Amino acid sequence: MKIQVFAVLKDFFKKEFELKARIATISELRIHLGQVNPNAVSVLKRCRFAIQDSFVNDQYVLTGDEHIIVIPPSSGG
Amino acid sequence: MDFITKKEIDLVALLQKSHCASAGAVVLFSGEVRNHNIGKAVRFLEYEAHISMASKMIAEILLAARNRWSLSIAEAQHRIGKVKISESAVVVITASAHREAAYASNRYIIDRIKHEVPIWKCEYFADGSKEWGNNCNCQKTTGDVNQHLYEFDSV
Repeated sequence: MKIQVFAVLKDFFKKEFELKARIATISELRIHLGQVNPNAVSVLKRCRFAIQDSFVNDQYVLTGDEHIIVIPPSSGG
Repeated sequence: MDFITKKEIDLVALLQKSHCASAGAVVLFSGEVRNHNIGKAVRFLEYEAHISMASKMIAEILLAARNRWSLSIAEAQHRIGKVKISESAVVVITASAHREAAYASNRYIIDRIKHEVPIWKCEYFADGSKEWGNNCNCQKTTGDVNQHLYEFDSV
């Protein structure tokens, strides 16, 4: 699966990267990313995730082919 | 109108296009870059967005506002890239028959944009430091990253 991050998450991860690990759900992905970079755990807890421009919840089941957007708390305006 | 733009927002031009025979009230909100935050002097802001998703969400928010308040006009545009002090980072324009709906809907739109839409600001301070904005802390109260506390709900 392809992971794309924004804003503060770019301080912890490359802007886009591939994950080969078997990850079954968004919840597992959140944990996995925190294991990849423990410094990002507190931000990851507050992130939303999206696939094809729509938010998905922690229970969303992944096939491994997704392009997943990791969305830190918004700060527009 | 593009909901997300790299160009400077022309408030006067947008307002000129926001008159409607059925609207007795037009409200324009401009969120502008101030020269200080958390006690530090700010040089400028840099905005980033997930453009396709942000555009889709702003369109949905504007439609919800139009329907809820029967608005004649509901428009919004947000800058990305470097935005200088006193420039507009976001504009929301609402027009309706009466001012109550124009004010309320305008607040609803900007509140939802700030909390929900994937747009982020990075503040660049005069002391050389920078910091990503951390506006939405609703999860601390709601326990859910998708549940927000809006100002318009408390008015």
